[in-house]
Amino acid sequence: MFKKLLIASRGEIAVRIIRACKELGVSTVAVHSDVDHDSMHVRLADESVCIGSQQPQNSYLNIAALLSAVDVTNAEAVHPGYGFLSENYNFAEMVTKHGIKFIGPNPQLIKSMGNKIKAKQIASKNGLTVIPGSEGGITTLDQAKKICSSIGFPVLIKASGGGGGKGMKIVAKESELENSMNEAKNEAKKYFNNDEVYVEKFFNNPRHIEVQILSDKNKTIHLGERDCSVQRRYQKLIEESPSPILNAEVRKDLLFKTVKMVEKIEYEGAGTVEFIYDNGKFYFLEMNTRIQVEHPVSEVVTGIDIVKEQISIAAKGYTTLNQADIISRGHAIECRINAEDPSKNFQPSPGIIGVCHQPSGFRTRIDGEIFQGCKISHHYDSLICKLICHGRNRTEAIQRTIRSLDEFVIEGVITTIDLHKKILMHQKFINSSFGVNWLNQEKFY
Amino acid sequence: MKIDKKLIKELVDYLNEFNLTELEYGESDTKIKVSKKKLNIPTTNEIVRLSSEKKKTDLVKGIKIISPIVGTAYLASETGGKKFVEVGKKIKKGNTVMIVEAMKTMNHVPSPKDGIVKEICVEDGQPVEFAQVLVLLE
Repeated sequence: MFKKLLIASRGEIAVRIIRACKELGVSTVAVHSDVDHDSMHVRLADESVCIGSQQPQNSYLNIAALLSAVDVTNAEAVHPGYGFLSENYNFAEMVTKHGIKFIGPNPQLIKSMGNKIKAKQIASKNGLTVIPGSEGGITTLDQAKKICSSIGFPVLIKASGGGGGKGMKIVAKESELENSMNEAKNEAKKYFNNDEVYVEKFFNNPRHIEVQILSDKNKTIHLGERDCSVQRRYQKLIEESPSPILNAEVRKDLLFKTVKMVEKIEYEGAGTVEFIYDNGKFYFLEMNTRIQVEHPVSEVVTGIDIVKEQISIAAKGYTTLNQADIISRGHAIECRINAEDPSKNFQPSPGIIGVCHQPSGFRTRIDGEIFQGCKISHHYDSLICKLICHGRNRTEAIQRTIRSLDEFVIEGVITTIDLHKKILMHQKFINSSFGVNWLNQEKFY
Repeated sequence: MKIDKKLIKELVDYLNEFNLTELEYGESDTKIKVSKKKLNIPTTNEIVRLSSEKKKTDLVKGIKIISPIVGTAYLASETGGKKFVEVGKKIKKGNTVMIVEAMKTMNHVPSPKDGIVKEICVEDGQPVEFAQVLVLLE
């Protein structure tokens, strides 16, 4: 096991990783920007290093500063969390070249799966159905027109260097194609430094279902699926496991095919394969080669500590878990509590947290980093906390989540707590009769 | 009661040998207890966690010359060489006060202003973090 690990992230996931390390007896190093010096992750770690000023490019995205922090603290491993540099293969490669273990798969896999076109080709080659569209990047309008006429409108133009729901343009008809393509290329260049785009069939209101996997040199296992269909502008708000709309046969097929694909690419560590589910069919969307925000949902249903498994696999090369050890029980729901104002188009609400009372009780879990007096900065993601509730069945999980949200008090910043309550009490949520565009189309909140 | 020096020394030796903080020995109605406080020996952890030191320098008046990066501070351009600055020395804006080395790259830290060196706040070879106070000028 590692003696010391550096967490190259901040916020609730940094706290999560530090907790796992403490339980494993691994010493922890937190890195932080100057404004984060009082953060929970800094307080909980054994050591901390200020690596730069508040802008992410000067601190949490600053590879030189991170490597320097590893050097001065003699850390043996780096956990990148999610976001920031977690899917940056350059960072993974540099860390590895310096003899430090990067908690994640090898840099080449991070690189292939980070390119959405390549990832699609790999998935297709290894037994998964992909979304109909261009097989590679498209450069000319004629190419685009040809593909669109074969798959039919509407289509989606996506950045191959993108992901996470960013950098996409919906095109309803051929006359809009040229402008949309140019806009998409410009945005892709701006946000991802790569203007390569590709075309896919657009699904109006599908569901988003993903599979959590754990892999070592010898085997791949799954921890079931998560249904992340409650979204707003392709950002997840509520996730649950198991998916309430799959039957046993469809689930079995999905999990089997996913495990097979991941096995074939010789993946190591934790990862998630994401799918669009539309009209009874699954289409590969992307693979995330890191821990995900919503990982606790799978943890509470299976009882497996995914972060500890990540660290163990990286340290030892194997997991002691077998598929037979994974027994899903009951139903779990997670609410992502964001410091945003839903009434003002989800404008971020930075500030200082005043009174803060977090819910607890039977099968109620909070993964967060907030406390009375802590500062929420406008420089970082607005996710401040996650509430995860587990029930014997979906109804109890919903009831428990609503009960917990009722107890939750956060003053000083505006949060999405009330929004989550409204969603959970809505008939469409209860009946699971909605898709990823529900909240974009129905503004009942 | 006669104090058995030899016995006490033996007990103290056992404390050290077995890395104990307390040891009690008894025979008939006589008991001897030896104990010691655990020393808090600073490690690299302490050197890097600098919040208390940061607070001290926050209260001091003067111009703070801070580290622009994470790395290791060196007071001279080579080991055993002449230090860039000494306490009491007059320096000009742009003069190198220290080197902070990061990943084998030597970064010269210049003084932002003219002044007299009041205090050198780090030791040679000490790991430093971003914005840590290196030198105080009057």
